[in-house]
Amino acid sequence: MKKIFLIALFSLAATSLLAQHNHSSDSALSTTEINSEHSLYHLNAEWTDHRGETLSLTDFRGAPVIVVMFYGNCTDVCPILIQDAWRLYSSLEKSVQKDVNVLAVSFDTENDTPKVLQEYAEYEQLDIPGWHFMTADNANVRTLAMMLGVQYSKKSDGHFAHSNLITVLDEEGRIAQRIEGLNQPMDKATKMIESIISNKDKR
Amino acid sequence: MNILTNIAPVKIMLATLAAGIVLLPAMAGAQVLVPSGSFHSVMPEVKGEPVKVDSFYLDTTAVTNKKYNEFLQDHEDWQPQNIPSIFAHKGYLKSWKNANSDDIVNPDHPVTNVSWYAANTYCQSIGGRLPTLNEWEYSAQLMDFDSPSDAQEFASRLMSWYSTVDNENIGAVGSSGIENSHGIKDQFGLIMEWVEDFKPVIANDLSLDCGTVGRMQQLGNAYSYAASIRYITRMSFTPKSTNSTVGFRCAYDVEKITEKEASL
Repeated sequence: MKKIFLIALFSLAATSLLAQHNHSSDSALSTTEINSEHSLYHLNAEWTDHRGETLSLTDFRGAPVIVVMFYGNCTDVCPILIQDAWRLYSSLEKSVQKDVNVLAVSFDTENDTPKVLQEYAEYEQLDIPGWHFMTADNANVRTLAMMLGVQYSKKSDGHFAHSNLITVLDEEGRIAQRIEGLNQPMDKATKMIESIISNKDKR
Repeated sequence: MNILTNIAPVKIMLATLAAGIVLLPAMAGAQVLVPSGSFHSVMPEVKGEPVKVDSFYLDTTAVTNKKYNEFLQDHEDWQPQNIPSIFAHKGYLKSWKNANSDDIVNPDHPVTNVSWYAANTYCQSIGGRLPTLNEWEYSAQLMDFDSPSDAQEFASRLMSWYSTVDNENIGAVGSSGIENSHGIKDQFGLIMEWVEDFKPVIANDLSLDCGTVGRMQQLGNAYSYAASIRYITRMSFTPKSTNSTVGFRCAYDVEKITEKEASL
């Protein structure tokens, strides 16, 4: 009897709290929610890539960007995720590829130093122009993840539970396409990137 | 009566709590060291295994309207009229409307109606960060009770508070009369607070069903009910949410504070 009472009380309590923000509980970033205000380039943060260069997201303004969040010690899922990003990148015409940047952002801010990321890039044979394996301080990495809708959380064994998401940004840093999950078809994203480039060229 | 099984050391001033609202001076800017330790999370991570938390510094009180206003003076991008909509819903600082910068309403009250992005940026701007969910929950459980009946009374007060949070009558920081053994005030009894990872990945599996409630109940200490309500409420937040009962306080890495002290 006591348990039923407690459950009822609990539900009541939760409902009263939930009710206060139902009006604002829309999902953080769906692809339909796009206008100029929603550019990720509002994030004013300093990043370092695997070449040791200091970067800002706005450095990539003007052309499509592929963003993927991962961590270097991830030996199961992350290589697939990075390969997925490569699959998308390599599906583009060479003429398109040269305008596209790929940002592989690590959320393991403790271990993935620029040097570790350099080794990772070399190991994955992706130390190539246009690809940036990046890190920043924890608060900025978390902010980018929030903006993309990527969830991650460090587990007690040092590994991370995380979402598998590849995001395509348009020339203004708005989310144009999201590919959720591993080994997904890339044709929609390929077309999206090509259309962003061709629309840009028309203007 | 196994209610004390999982409780870590400290003191709760139930007498003060019972006395109702006592207005204490705002200790804005003060932070204390929370030593490393572990606690039992209500999250079903590894069954029965305590979550380890390293030492960190934490603000003794939530960030006040006055402090947040100072931040806005130096960070115009975060003023309500300028903030990009990617960083907050329309309710951002809505309680501040009609107030100009020289006339902050309730300066010693915790700032609320701030999004996660705003809270995160504020803490960064003062050399801190938002506490992680585990840090926050760990600190909240660092309380001691004189007797099982005190713990029980505290638990029922918490339940009653979480079911009737009154956003019209939030008091000044420090006014809840609740503090942990290190002097961290108001983690209960004033507002809900943002944490860095407010929506852990595993939270997707949780829902408001009897199974979840039952699992969280197994913790069986004075905090478990309140904790499960917090976890479930946080799940409905987005980083843009601006809730009238949600504010924040900042945490600091031990090394950063040490460096700061060394440079003084």
